[in-house]
Amino acid sequence: MSTNGTTKKSSTMTSDPSQSSFAVKAGLAQMLKGGVIMDVVNAEQAKIAEEAGACAVMALERVPADIRAQGGVARMSDPQMIKDIMRTVTIPVMAKARIGHVVECQILQAIGVDYIDESEVLTPADPTNHVEKSGFGVPFVCGCRNLGEALRRIAEGAAMIRTKGEAGTGDVVEAVRHMQTVNGEIARASSSTDSELRMMARELECDYALLKQTAQLKRLPVVNFAAGGVATPADAALMMQMGCDGVFVGSGIFKSGDAAKRAKAIVQAVTHYNDPQVLADVSSGLGEAMVGINVEKLDGGARLAKRGW
Amino acid sequence: MTLAIGVLALQGAFAEHIQLLRRAVAEASVSAPLQGSTAESIGFEFVEVRTPGELARCAALIIPGGESTSIALIAERTGLLEPLRDFVKVQRKPVWGTCAGLILLAESANKTKATGQDLIGGLDVRVHRNYFGRQVESFEADLDLPFLGEDAGTFHSVFIRAPVVEKVLSASLPVDHTEDMVTAPARKATAAPVEILARLPGRARALRDRSTTAEDLGEDGDIVAVRQGNVFGTAFHPELTDDARIHAWWLQQVVNSTVI
Repeated sequence: MSTNGTTKKSSTMTSDPSQSSFAVKAGLAQMLKGGVIMDVVNAEQAKIAEEAGACAVMALERVPADIRAQGGVARMSDPQMIKDIMRTVTIPVMAKARIGHVVECQILQAIGVDYIDESEVLTPADPTNHVEKSGFGVPFVCGCRNLGEALRRIAEGAAMIRTKGEAGTGDVVEAVRHMQTVNGEIARASSSTDSELRMMARELECDYALLKQTAQLKRLPVVNFAAGGVATPADAALMMQMGCDGVFVGSGIFKSGDAAKRAKAIVQAVTHYNDPQVLADVSSGLGEAMVGINVEKLDGGARLAKRGW
Repeated sequence: MTLAIGVLALQGAFAEHIQLLRRAVAEASVSAPLQGSTAESIGFEFVEVRTPGELARCAALIIPGGESTSIALIAERTGLLEPLRDFVKVQRKPVWGTCAGLILLAESANKTKATGQDLIGGLDVRVHRNYFGRQVESFEADLDLPFLGEDAGTFHSVFIRAPVVEKVLSASLPVDHTEDMVTAPARKATAAPVEILARLPGRARALRDRSTTAEDLGEDGDIVAVRQGNVFGTAFHPELTDDARIHAWWLQQVVNSTVI
């Protein structure tokens, strides 16, 4: 879990992607803390996001609400579109790859994205495995519903974790459920003896050393963002109050009435998540929120969070 | 007496700084206690700063790493930009910026976003944002930091999409503007010189701007730590390590300039 031991000297520090240490990968996630990462589908939206104060953007072809509505196989975006966005903004640019699709990840690394999201929002490419992420120089973020899933992803090399709330619904309930589950399991781990932890590691199907580290830290060993279903400043602040380090907003911004205004409001809400007066101010007069889908009304097969293993 | 030390908590790695400040105090109280002129032991309180009121309580401030565009925009919308300029450039209280913080404390920055960005200013330098490139070019390096003492050994430092100081500005000369360059609004000029506290060797030749750089200043290497009066900036992230020596050194500087 610690750095891979390749401390680069200044003379040899030019980019050899395979040499990026875990500290460098996890370090960028630490720089994103307290910030909002916004889904964008073109350079124009990326500019709006940057002007709103986004700390990074996620470049993808269709926001999750459209993927949900249009169906079909959702894949990595056109590299040309991602490169346009990278040229347009100076903040970090992330992009999504399908679960287990090693080659999509290689392509995203080759074009120089700052983070790869191995994401359940796209159609999974591997029925059993996630990408072995530690071999890549570019860092990865992955979704989780519980502590076991989070620690499996970290063991594979993920340098950042997010909840796996139901993307494209505008319903925050699943993100809340995942954060609650992770928090509850960390609390349980923190009050466990070593032998209880070994049993818990078997139960959660995760690495014992990582579980032990989590128990000692009383938090995940990497940055943990909220994602999935965040549609309002209040949703974003709710996730921050539950202990998230920052927030991804997907369809919630560019599927709403006044995207620029809502984007700014969510940025302010994440900084001032504990100040109800500021939250009241920024929540006022935002226009229409995205049309929501009640997660309880979704068939099992329509639930994206179930993807991933 | 107790000094309130603020960490700007609008966005970025502010919690990491507070953790290392606490560690610096704990370790210093074991070795050489931080002391004022009367040898009175100094206590510290660490404050997350999100409002002008919280800033006003502080004797000194750290501006952490994060996204400098996000921090500047949030500061402006929170009504903190002018109080921050006042804190740094009128009251001249001690300030330390790391990475994004260094950018915000520079009087001039280039490679900013298309519509530019607000700067606080305070250091008469021009920084080059994302100088080393994108995330895949981020790296770690062991630096010599002479200000930590002769026998300090190297400091393991992390550079994340980091800036460098590419030019020391002369206060009397007008800034030559290019398209993607922004400058901070002027305040009272300071007579304090810009001191170069650390360099990263071996990269100066890669600099595109050849007019005045490390090489002209007679040394080799990119400038990664500077100080001008009470304003200190580092291009790297001590807060991503568990080495509290720079934090301890900086707290002593704060004590020296506010208590003694």
